[in-house]
Amino acid sequence: MDKLVKIDESSERGIVNFLKFLLENKKVSGVFTLRKTNTNGSVDYGLITETSGLDDAIPLHPLMPANAGQILSRFTPVKKPIAAVIKPCELHAFVELVKRTQGTLDNFLLISYSCGGAFPFKATVQNNVDKLLPDYWKTVSNGEVSREIRPTCKGCEYFVPMNADITISLIGEKNLDTECRMFLHTDKGKTFAEGFNGTLSEEKFGSSLIDSLLTRRKTEKEKLFTEVGIQDAGLDGMIDVFGKCIGCHGCSRVCPICYCILCDFESHKYDDNVTILEKELVHKGAIRLPPDTILYQIGRLIHMSFSCVGCGLCAEVCPANIPVSTIFMKTGGETAKIFEYIPGKDVEEPIPVMIFKKEELTEIGED
Amino acid sequence: MESFSTKGTKISAENGFRNAMLGFLKDLLSKGFFDGIFVPIKVPAGDSYAWVLIQDKSVLDDANPIAPVMPVQGAKALKSLTRRGKGNLRIAAIMRPCEIRASIELSKLNQVNLENITLVSYDCPGALPLSDYIENPKEGEKSFDFSFSGEVWDDEATKPVCQMCDHFSLPACDLHFGLLVSEEKSIFLISNSEKGKRVFDEMKMDCSEDLSNWESKVAEIKKRKEKKKAETFKEIQPMVEGFDNLLDTFANCIGCHNCQSVCPICYCRQCYFDSEVSKPTSDFILLKAEKRGGLSFPLDKIMFHTGRMSHMSLSCVSCGLCTDACPVSIPVAKIFSYVADKTQRAFEYKAGENAGEALPMREFKLDEIQGIRELVDSAEG
Repeated sequence: MDKLVKIDESSERGIVNFLKFLLENKKVSGVFTLRKTNTNGSVDYGLITETSGLDDAIPLHPLMPANAGQILSRFTPVKKPIAAVIKPCELHAFVELVKRTQGTLDNFLLISYSCGGAFPFKATVQNNVDKLLPDYWKTVSNGEVSREIRPTCKGCEYFVPMNADITISLIGEKNLDTECRMFLHTDKGKTFAEGFNGTLSEEKFGSSLIDSLLTRRKTEKEKLFTEVGIQDAGLDGMIDVFGKCIGCHGCSRVCPICYCILCDFESHKYDDNVTILEKELVHKGAIRLPPDTILYQIGRLIHMSFSCVGCGLCAEVCPANIPVSTIFMKTGGETAKIFEYIPGKDVEEPIPVMIFKKEELTEIGED
Repeated sequence: MESFSTKGTKISAENGFRNAMLGFLKDLLSKGFFDGIFVPIKVPAGDSYAWVLIQDKSVLDDANPIAPVMPVQGAKALKSLTRRGKGNLRIAAIMRPCEIRASIELSKLNQVNLENITLVSYDCPGALPLSDYIENPKEGEKSFDFSFSGEVWDDEATKPVCQMCDHFSLPACDLHFGLLVSEEKSIFLISNSEKGKRVFDEMKMDCSEDLSNWESKVAEIKKRKEKKKAETFKEIQPMVEGFDNLLDTFANCIGCHNCQSVCPICYCRQCYFDSEVSKPTSDFILLKAEKRGGLSFPLDKIMFHTGRMSHMSLSCVSCGLCTDACPVSIPVAKIFSYVADKTQRAFEYKAGENAGEALPMREFKLDEIQGIRELVDSAEG
């Protein structure tokens, strides 16, 4: 059974108080969370080591300037305990990266929350976020889909963190302004919370409003897939959707799963030899330059879509406004389904494409 | 380098600028003077443009030499063809002046081989911001065509860097199409190098046309752009002076490095700031955080931008692709243009203007060494 800690503060203040408690009592050496960096609505992820630094912390703010899973994995292993408040898709990405031997969860106290989704970058750029917040929190309370969040978030089914030590309950909570409900799932979570001032009880995490939001999100997801309509279109469909790709590879750089320091498609291997390109020109009558626009997308789909956590950053950074994340979520979802695999669910479960079973070899023999 | 006086001829443009330009290039392709034409073409979905190298004349009919957007810098596309050396085929590449200048910079940096490439340019009306065009391609086509339909080109819909670009005409290309002609239904073709002259000879074109009318029109627009540039620089100056202002200006930067990856000059296969060396250990990060009370991620946000400035600003051609690619709308191009103007001035260097002139950081002058001697002497007292 989960342990519930109730704090008589708003959800955000409640969690900030908890983080202060952790830092003050030297339970952790640092706190990793979203911060306000100026008065124009800019945010960043900060590693905070002094309690005064927490005054700017906005751990539940619906913005995602980067995938925190990517940031955290890159500075592991950490030798001192650190508390991190991150979104479910960031936590799931962190778990996938650990499975891909790109980091370790050791010494992290992982705090997450049932997530109502994040606003697009556009909202930050236009300094619009504060205006959108009241309505946003209403939809979170009611278990609805906010109209202002990113398309990827609207269709996200994994808005409840699957393996956090502590989950702050937001979806369906009626008193977000006056009450913070923090569920301790793991022994680690319980140990860190020892001595913290709050009302303790035993309660299982979950609510009917979470279930109804899941239904709504699933509908939104199908709508997204239909809008992009690439699944049955074959290569021509790929060319139609990715034809305007400018080859900046921003999608791969912000992708938490694309961990390669040098992407294969930027390596020497893909430097085209001019004589080969010229032969192709003579053969085809015309060639696109730089080449391999679609190959890059297919390659990335093969390399990472299996672990795609649907964080949506790829679509956010695309200068050509291609719905990258929808396509990757669809493809990743379909392949993962074959293996009954859910990215970010269980750190112990191996990634199916990274192992083999003896009977799979038999099947190959039969073919 | 031998100086070359520009000469021109008049070409009929009954069916518009684009058809006149394509017709001429097609002629050269038919006569076997070129084996391929490098030119933008609309992508199959009709919602953007891509660079294509064309040999089949029928494909050339669909090309658009003056595309409303510049999704990929032409120099970068040329690099993908000739990074490993020159090809055997003779190619005419029709590009915007900033793309020509970037190609010249890249050839100095050994990233593009121009030996078999003839650079063809035109009076550039600018390009639309990529996001504007992608949002509504049909409207984009219209507003772009409008931007150079009148007597005095209206650049309001084009990118901010285009509005202040005073290098929009006759770069160090081989051939140039002068579009700023007031007379009805014709354009100028100008030979601007030995390679260009060979084309004129091949096509048996005379080049005795009086260009003074075109020159004065170019000068008129140049004046307007220079004024805009001065205004823009005034607006940028307070945004980049001092660390706090830089921090404010780049506050929304998410560290995606799109600006670097689309930059034609940033040719490094792997940027230093993406490499293993710039990834500190957790011990170091925690130590740094403890020293300051907090640490911001992504790390080295400002260092990345100032680092990139010091790496590439001497060759910056102000093409504006960095701004097009920025997901948080930072005016990267204006900022880099402002800095480039200062660094290039300091070395009396103009990026992409003269293929024969060495990159300032790639050569030394004896008196510079003398200067160092003096510095050392004065330091030693």
